[in-house]
Amino acid sequence: MKKKKKEIQPDTSRLPKTIASVMEPYGLTEDGVVCSAPIDMNLSGEFTKGYVLLSKEKLYVLISEAIPGEMIYFKGSENLHKMSQQTAREWTVSEYDLKQVLNFTVERNVMGGVLVKIDKAPGVDYEAEGDGPKPEGEATVIAAFSNKCMGGIARMEKVGRKLQKGEEITEEDIKDKSAEAYCPTCGSMYPDADRKICPKCMNTKNIFFRILGYLKPYRGRILIMFLCYIATACLNLVWPYLNGTVLYDKVLARNEAFLQAMKLPAGKFALALGLVALAMIVTKLLTQFVGIVQGVLTAKIAPYMVKDLKNDVFRSMGSLSVGFFTSKQTGSLMTRVMYDAEEVQGLFIDGLPYFVTNVFSIIAMAIIMFKMNVLLAIVSLIGMPIVFFVSWRMLPRLWHRYGRAHRASRSMNARINDNLTGARVVKAFGQEESEMERFNKTNERVRSADLEVVKYDNAFWGIYNVAESMASLMVLTVSAYLIIVKKQIDVGFMMTFAGYVTQLTGPMDFFSHFFRWFTNTMNSAQRMFEIMDAIPEIREKEHPVHLDHVKGDVEMKNVTFGYEKNKPVLKDVSLSAEAGKMLGIVGRSGAGKTTIVNLISRLYDPWEGSVTLDGVDLRDLDFATLHGNVAMVSQETYIFRGTIAENIAYARRDASREEIVRAAVLASAHDFICKLPDGYDTLVGTGRRDLSGGERQRISIARAILCNPKILILDEATAAVDTETEMAIQKSINLLINGRTTISIAHRLSTLRDASELVVIDDGKVTERGTHDELVAQKGTYYKLKELQTKALALKGIE
Amino acid sequence: MGLTTFQAADDDFNLEQMEEETEEMLRLRYLNRENAVFKKTSGGFVSLDTFGEHYDRVRVVRSFPFTDPTHYISIRVADEKSKEIGMILDIGKDVDAETKAMLEEQMNLRYFTPIITKIKDIKDEYGHAYFDVETNEGPCKFVIYMNSSSVVHLTDTRLLITDLDGNRFEIPDYSKFSAKELKKLDLFL
Ligand SMILES: Nc1ncnc2c1ncn2[C@@H]1O[C@H](COP(=O)(O)OP(=O)(O)O)[C@@H](O)[C@H]1O
Ligand SMILES: [Mg+2]
Repeated sequence: MKKKKKEIQPDTSRLPKTIASVMEPYGLTEDGVVCSAPIDMNLSGEFTKGYVLLSKEKLYVLISEAIPGEMIYFKGSENLHKMSQQTAREWTVSEYDLKQVLNFTVERNVMGGVLVKIDKAPGVDYEAEGDGPKPEGEATVIAAFSNKCMGGIARMEKVGRKLQKGEEITEEDIKDKSAEAYCPTCGSMYPDADRKICPKCMNTKNIFFRILGYLKPYRGRILIMFLCYIATACLNLVWPYLNGTVLYDKVLARNEAFLQAMKLPAGKFALALGLVALAMIVTKLLTQFVGIVQGVLTAKIAPYMVKDLKNDVFRSMGSLSVGFFTSKQTGSLMTRVMYDAEEVQGLFIDGLPYFVTNVFSIIAMAIIMFKMNVLLAIVSLIGMPIVFFVSWRMLPRLWHRYGRAHRASRSMNARINDNLTGARVVKAFGQEESEMERFNKTNERVRSADLEVVKYDNAFWGIYNVAESMASLMVLTVSAYLIIVKKQIDVGFMMTFAGYVTQLTGPMDFFSHFFRWFTNTMNSAQRMFEIMDAIPEIREKEHPVHLDHVKGDVEMKNVTFGYEKNKPVLKDVSLSAEAGKMLGIVGRSGAGKTTIVNLISRLYDPWEGSVTLDGVDLRDLDFATLHGNVAMVSQETYIFRGTIAENIAYARRDASREEIVRAAVLASAHDFICKLPDGYDTLVGTGRRDLSGGERQRISIARAILCNPKILILDEATAAVDTETEMAIQKSINLLINGRTTISIAHRLSTLRDASELVVIDDGKVTERGTHDELVAQKGTYYKLKELQTKALALKGIE
Repeated sequence: MGLTTFQAADDDFNLEQMEEETEEMLRLRYLNRENAVFKKTSGGFVSLDTFGEHYDRVRVVRSFPFTDPTHYISIRVADEKSKEIGMILDIGKDVDAETKAMLEEQMNLRYFTPIITKIKDIKDEYGHAYFDVETNEGPCKFVIYMNSSSVVHLTDTRLLITDLDGNRFEIPDYSKFSAKELKKLDLFL
């Protein structure tokens, strides 16, 4: 859309202008507002507009009356340019005194939530109450909103609590991290404010020019290629002329005027024939030669361009976080990228030049044909729009059906894969029948989709061929009429003309394919650019800090984090592990232990707060320092496709055989590896040779030993093994943790006895911390768990 | 209750008590009109008196929100732990009509999901799909990511669509749509 670029800014003031006058009677001005957040529902659950405002003393809720039929915009759908003029609204304002209220909390629903005011319970002296949970009074819903407004309200809830406690409010607290950004071109809201990519403006044109950028280094060669294509087109024009008019009508028909024009001696038709034959041979040879030059050039450009493209994609893929891969669920991402790059190359190296040549040929041929005979030209060209129309109208539908068939077969493959990998479960539970039934259903979908494709495909080509043949037939009929009845033209003339008509069908067929080819390629290119544009959430900074010597102090400060938006898993967690010491983390399953170590190894970045290594924020640290010094033996063991040796040497490709074996010995993996027929060269991760849970665990411990990290993370490293193996592994772990900072998560508390500090995590919060003895003395959760385990062990001993 | 003993740490640890607690965790307790009294609070919530305990405010959660919304209603403590107090097997039979209405009101708020009644437009742009629809809550425009988790087939004809923020929209039966609307939706079927 071509519009004057109006500089429209979203209203980001703390007191939105539209409600400034509403708040006047309450004596509230922009300066008095600490923080504000929009809401989008009223208390009866209808969508409307509203705000929650927070001043130092009060919380205000403004709700306007719902306007029936008013469009409700959710994230990404709003457009600054088209934002409706603010209609006058009736506002209802409620105010709540912060001092009289115990607190405000957010109650989350499936799609959004409500803000709840909790009164102080009557007759309770809150001054005297400790830090623990306080008795609550009446709870009242005061505002409702969808997930769109959740971020703002959650921020406000936090600021409100700080205000109540009389704490300082920092810029950081009120900064709107979820502030929306808009595309400056079309005004649409970016789906992701951090990515600044407008899907609407990322149109075919942009993609096309972006690919052209990849051809830039090969400008010279591409120019030569174009010249070759034009030459081919010219030669193609010459051929029917020589072959028809010149040969039949001039030479064979003994046309004296022709000899004269060619400055040949009169009557020497044999010589003329020889010359024409020579010209024809030269034309053919030239055509061949130009073809060869083209081929060579293509071979010299195409592979490089594909390489550049793939490199760019893989580079950005490598830097993408775990989050990207789990959210995109891209099992066959690699193969798709390969395919996409080839597709793009195909169009730009083969398709586009050919397209230009064809356009050139058609125009040139049309001109020549009109010069030769207007009537014939009209007749032969009249079919063209029909052919065009047919392919233009029908092809998109055909591709649509292809797409559906493709999706159906993909989902069938997924089902097959499920059944193969889960074959044991299926058999063990006797579910073959019902699996078969489910499979039949998908299979049936594939069948009907395929059938649709075939039907439409047949219809399309049928119509297309009929249209094309009709055109040829009409030319023949009219020519015959002109030759026999009107005696206007000669046979040679007709042959030249027929030659052009046949040559016309070439470009026309090409065009009908070209449209589909073009859209397909643009889709491929789009997919690749999407990956390239997906700014990795976990990114190395511009000028990262490199630490040559890592001491190993790890600290986590006031970290809040969750995997899904608006659903925090860790809430305000602080903990630290001093260099060379061991920190133990204890908690129920699902408490957030693994999440903590994921943050420490920077698989994710915290929403709020920071994780530091030797005082440097992980976000400022370079990847080399991070990966070379932090190793994790996790609950889930990853075995890559390759030999056992390769798996152990995963983090250090340059490790010698000796180092690998030593690491395996330390991880008590050496024994079982040697018992395998292929030893360290056993291929694993392919399904051919399945390792047991304990064996995998030991390989991943060996991997960590070889990495020789300063910081070792053990996430239930012995969860998958029997008691005996556990003892062995525990021994190797004890060797391993010497002189390192260790962060250990374990079910068995006895293994954490040596920890210098223990933290107990519950529901994403630290509930207890201290040494083993301190925690036992506290008689809290830790004590209870410990007692339970010793008693359980004692009971076993009695039996 | 479990929560209080957890914090009252000064009484000596005893295994029986702990086992009792563990057993309690494994017990499925059904609530019905004999053993549970629900009351509406002035703040818009529901309170509960059952087995000698009083709860100012409880959470009403469906165990099978899609496939069986009227059975196995779980009543939970309204705090972060959200511990289960008990289960109502069949909300149509086990409680009186007044309670049923009260609980359903809570659930309707909790499971609030606009129903798409008409599809005006769906545009597929660079990895996102822009929806312009009519719902029972009024006209809506929203955007989703083009991946398979954004549009979930609950049954053969029932769709659940999740937008960028996690807001949900439901199509109870897409076969009821007109051919024109279906064509727009075809991308996701
Ligand atoms: N990749 C993920 N996406 C969404 N939620 C997750 C993911 N991983 C873990 N969770 C959730 O985060 C919470 C904490 O998980 P986790 O840290 O693995 O617990 P723990 O290791 O203490 O057992 C759980 O409720 C879990 O469901
Ligand atoms: Mg875990």
